Amino acid sequence: MISNAIIFVLAAAFGFVLSRSGAADYEFIQKMFLFEDLQLYGIMAVAVAVLAPGLYLLKRHGRALGGDRLEFKEKPFHRGNVIGGVLFGVGWSMTGMCPGPILVNIGEGKVYAVAALAGTLLGAYLLGAVYPRLVAPMNLPKLEVGTGDG
Amino acid sequence: MLLLHGLPVLHWAVAGVAIGAITLILMYALNRRLGISTGFESVCALVSKRPYFRRSELQGKGRWRLPFLAGLVAGGVVSALLGGGFAASWDLGRFDVVIGASPLLKTAWMFAGGLLIGFGTRLAGGCTSGHGIFGMANFEKASWLSTASFMAAGIATTQIVYRVVF
Repeated sequence: MISNAIIFVLAAAFGFVLSRSGAADYEFIQKMFLFEDLQLYGIMAVAVAVLAPGLYLLKRHGRALGGDRLEFKEKPFHRGNVIGGVLFGVGWSMTGMCPGPILVNIGEGKVYAVAALAGTLLGAYLLGAVYPRLVAPMNLPKLEVGTGDG
Repeated sequence: MLLLHGLPVLHWAVAGVAIGAITLILMYALNRRLGISTGFESVCALVSKRPYFRRSELQGKGRWRLPFLAGLVAGGVVSALLGGGFAASWDLGRFDVVIGASPLLKTAWMFAGGLLIGFGTRLAGGCTSGHGIFGMANFEKASWLSTASFMAAGIATTQIVYRVVF
């Protein structure tokens, strides 16, 4: 329960930063893809540059704050990485939102983001429904594993 | 300038450090790998009994994603409240000017884009957060490939929409 409260607060901080940085703004997404403004490339580069050494040290340490073994899996490599990535990229450009910003935009009061969320949930449901038929052609992990948490 | 109340944006370095730091805290303090799109499967798991949504990944400890999604919405609410007040808005910047301002058109466009986001991110195994931020920082092959794919597709789509079609 306490961890859920901390998760909620961390996510709210994350959402606030997405909201105020342009990452959840239709115009900034289009400007990024048109190379009119490099703001969002800068954010991604800095976030990765901060996280990479932090993760490296954390993995060497091997333990989370409570003493538990650090547990996370690397994402499986398969054809879906590219095909799914391309489909997502088209959707990201169309809506000006990736998954986090869909929720942030709803919080901001952007009415159209509710339509984007409805589509996204249906899309995720459809992937789950056809997953067994995609395992062989896409070389996906077996159903019990899924494509990995992301 | 943001669509939200015309607010100025945070400096990119400040926003980048904040995102990196929050991701590290999530990993170190709560032992969770940042990832948002799997949360859509957690929502599906609330209503669907399909085997895919019964995976252990979405049960037990995996349920943390629901409060995470709720927190993202709350972050948007706080941002609006502190930035000038909460108000419903259909404002979509250049879309309104170049493509059309009709709410019906925008609803259909957003729904269609959302379908691609939901299906695509789950097929890819992640989105901008799980692949683009965490997976790239962890030097995972799948994440570098997937990030290159969605960035390239995003660039191509926006270029086609605003430089060719409209």
